[in-house]
Amino acid sequence: MKKIITMVISVITLSSCEKEIELDLNSSNSKYVIEGEMPQNELATVKITKTVNFSDLNNFPIVKGAIVTITDEIGTTEQLIETSTGIYKTQKLKGGEGKTYTLSVKADGNTFTAKSTMPKAVKLTGLKISLSSFAPPGAFSSDNYIVFPQFIDPPQLGNSYRFIQTRNGELDKSIIIANDNIGNGQPNSRFIFSQNFDIKLGDEVTVEMRCIDVPVYDYFFSLNSIQGNGPGGGTTPSNPVSNISGGALGYFSAFTVQKVSAVVK
Amino acid sequence: MAKLKFIILSVLMSSSMLFAQEKFTISGTMRDKATGEELIGATVVVKEIPNTGKAANEYGFYSITLPKGNYTLRATYIGYNEIEKTITLDKNLKIDWEFESGKQLQEVVIKATKDDENITKTAMGTEKLDIKEISKLPVIFGEKDVLKTIQLLPGVKSAGEGNSGFYVRGGGADQNLILLDEAPVYNASHLLGFFSTFNSDAIKDATIIKGNSPANYGGRLSSVLDVRMREGNDKEFQTSGGIGIISSRLAVEGPIQKEKSSFMISGRRTYVDQLLKASEDFSDTKLYFYDLNAKANYRINKNNRVFLSGYFGRDVLGFGNALGIDWGNRTGTLRWNSIINSKWFSNTSLIYSDYSYQFKVTGGENSFVNQSTIKDWNLKQEFQFFPSTRNSWRFGFNSIYHNITPGSLISETDESENNVKEGRKAFENAIYAQNTFSVSPKFSMDYGLRLTSWSVLGGTTYNIYNNGIKTDSVVLADGSFGKTYFNIEPRLSFNYILNPKNSIKAGYARNTQNLHLLSNSTSSNPTDQWVGSSYNIKPGISDQFSLGYFKNFAENKYEFSAETYYKSLQNQVDYKNGADIQTAPDVESELLFGKGRAYGLEFSIKKKSGKFTGWVSYTLSKTERQVDGINEGNWYAARQDRTHDLALVGIYQISPKWSLSSNFIYYTGDAVTFPSGKYEVGGNTTFYYTDRNASRMPNYHRLDFSATYEKPRKGKYQSSWNFSLYNAYGRENAYTITFEDNENDPTRTSAIQTSLFKWVPSVTYNFKF
Repeated sequence: MKKIITMVISVITLSSCEKEIELDLNSSNSKYVIEGEMPQNELATVKITKTVNFSDLNNFPIVKGAIVTITDEIGTTEQLIETSTGIYKTQKLKGGEGKTYTLSVKADGNTFTAKSTMPKAVKLTGLKISLSSFAPPGAFSSDNYIVFPQFIDPPQLGNSYRFIQTRNGELDKSIIIANDNIGNGQPNSRFIFSQNFDIKLGDEVTVEMRCIDVPVYDYFFSLNSIQGNGPGGGTTPSNPVSNISGGALGYFSAFTVQKVSAVVK
Repeated sequence: MAKLKFIILSVLMSSSMLFAQEKFTISGTMRDKATGEELIGATVVVKEIPNTGKAANEYGFYSITLPKGNYTLRATYIGYNEIEKTITLDKNLKIDWEFESGKQLQEVVIKATKDDENITKTAMGTEKLDIKEISKLPVIFGEKDVLKTIQLLPGVKSAGEGNSGFYVRGGGADQNLILLDEAPVYNASHLLGFFSTFNSDAIKDATIIKGNSPANYGGRLSSVLDVRMREGNDKEFQTSGGIGIISSRLAVEGPIQKEKSSFMISGRRTYVDQLLKASEDFSDTKLYFYDLNAKANYRINKNNRVFLSGYFGRDVLGFGNALGIDWGNRTGTLRWNSIINSKWFSNTSLIYSDYSYQFKVTGGENSFVNQSTIKDWNLKQEFQFFPSTRNSWRFGFNSIYHNITPGSLISETDESENNVKEGRKAFENAIYAQNTFSVSPKFSMDYGLRLTSWSVLGGTTYNIYNNGIKTDSVVLADGSFGKTYFNIEPRLSFNYILNPKNSIKAGYARNTQNLHLLSNSTSSNPTDQWVGSSYNIKPGISDQFSLGYFKNFAENKYEFSAETYYKSLQNQVDYKNGADIQTAPDVESELLFGKGRAYGLEFSIKKKSGKFTGWVSYTLSKTERQVDGINEGNWYAARQDRTHDLALVGIYQISPKWSLSSNFIYYTGDAVTFPSGKYEVGGNTTFYYTDRNASRMPNYHRLDFSATYEKPRKGKYQSSWNFSLYNAYGRENAYTITFEDNENDPTRTSAIQTSLFKWVPSVTYNFKF
């Protein structure tokens, strides 16, 4: 919506101008940022960093020496090993379908906890690729392709998905999520909508489908939608809804993993 | 108790009790001689009795009751020649006044119907716009616009650059009751806010009331903008129009049967998209709006008249066949005016109003549509009673049946996927009484009471949420009544005239609002949704206290006013952080509730006549909200909070042919949330926010010029050219500020300011024959 509004505005005004400005922004106390992932049948990884002020360089401090543990449903706790600075990994514990995991992070006297449940996997059967009808301004027809992941949503409401897309090995960094508020219990008919990631004839596309739980969906949904700024279709920005308690930013997600590749032809 | 009875009696009976004299009534209508248009607010004054002015009501009717005797009556309306009549009052008289346009009046006169209205009228925070005057002010794209002109008044703030949305005294953009011939207009803007839905060719009169509205208005918390369409010339045919750089207008009006019935039809269309077609980049872009105002009236006999008026407007926006949005309003009003006798006037209106939008996205062979509508049927009955010169009454009722279909995303290709949200119906009722009473020549009061109810109607299921978690649900059968809210809304204002040049006024008003606009964006968005009060959403309530000092000097040429207000708001609705408003099964689960407060001081100085006219308005204000779940429950500045707001408007009539005008606007930045830090998630730079709306946009200022050349009249043919320059010194005002990784240096982030309009020149040619 924001992009559309920007386009409309530029059309109406015929010219709008953009420039970089100096702003005296408030500074804030540095906060912990936790990205915890527990993939299906794989070891868990937790990355811990910190925030910096807006005017600082994009060097985000890495948090070393934290005590990170993951506990499964039956009470088995494993402390994660710092395999490289700021990256903590389990050695034995792997994610399992339908199981709930509790993450605990202790760093410099702070304790953060989070819980995530890996949903049952929904079978990804393949990819359907078709020509996009969205022609960019100036073009009579589009030469971009869009990708429809093929799966059937289970009947109960609340299934949530995250997709990771690569094109010839290059990762699409945008956040692609879906849930079954639309089309509950139906075969999927929605394509992956990603800006600035054009797929052309001959490209090899790989889509990884992750079944995620609702709090993690909410995290990514809000991360996507509330990072807008100011008027012109932007929402009032705020921090995404996190499933981590204790005041840290980020998320902890246990998710299923399936991958399918196809060549556009 | 006996004393109270006496007061009530004396108010009701007024002077007739105190002086047992024989009394007679003069009544009639006040009209423009050339066109037959009724003149709202034209005044009749009795020379022998000071402060007896009676203004014509919104249908041009007036009534004065006086003791038997000889009188000189003087009828005035600004911009028209004064009329005097000497009468002998020994029976009830019907006197109709026909005003001739003032030929000698080459200078412009602004916004007043009576020289000393600023001092003598009881109503506070009320401004009437002269449509003729608006046409001389500089505007963007040369498109004169009621909604943009009211933003130059104290206490009214623009919602952003070039935007027709406005905020009144700290209220939200949805808290303005915008009426077109009594029909509520839900989305008063075109092209995402750059134009208003009001085609000024079709408009006769516009009045804004900033919160202290009389009891005959209700349903919104902050203001009333009452716009009346012209009736159409009932004496001769007339065509008028304008050709501008971005849009053109054409209006035709004339008698159906001379002086018995007339019609008016006015249309407007933009053609930016036609210009865009020339550019290859936008060859498949659709972007335009059109609107049509039509009205007809018929005099059944000299005391009865019916009116039928309608508005239809639509915006269309599309990119190829991939994406299309269209939205618009439709309104229709059927009215019956009846002069029951010289003291009683009745108006009955049946009103239909709807607003709908449709948003379609096509990808491959699949397409989705998101659509929503709000439809109202509205019945209004009002009686006006003029027992004496010092006293007038209005009372009546208003019943509205609302039918709201919330936005549902629908697959056009696979219907089995659809989860269409059920429509919701509600029944809104109000009864009211309002009295205007001159207690003494120095002291007058307007007071009234409005009782309102809102009933949720059956036909669907209502869920009850506690902190976003469903705790219960109510299944209501079709036709049954669910939750009903009752409210009592007192309205009071007092005017104490210290001397003919100075007065003090005070007022209090409670307003309630049962329709809430859910908007999480900061500009007017066609897909914003209206929801009614329900089991979760309680009626919004505002209480406004205001106090003002009014002064006229130099023989009423200059008006000064200072008003201060304090407003408290209850049951304000906001989205929770990260709410999913498009696809959430029930949007009510995504809401938070809170309260608000707003206070401020407004100054205005006007020069009303002479070669040079204009005004200066300044507002100092603060607007805050407190919502559990936002900003840790602490008070924060609302997004419309703007500390200083200044507008200077000047019109100079150089000669009968040429006039110049200019605006200067300065305001301090709106409250906004800027990041106070940043971090990385999934390899993307993400911003960290602390307090809500704790930062400020840069200050805004702009100077506009306009020149109007009126060609000497050739027979019936009149024409004028209007040249305007918006943002004359090319200030780059911030429209948005966004934050992103620096394109050239990914190790840094930068703040990017987008500004829209820099030197927008425009030319408009207007004609009339």
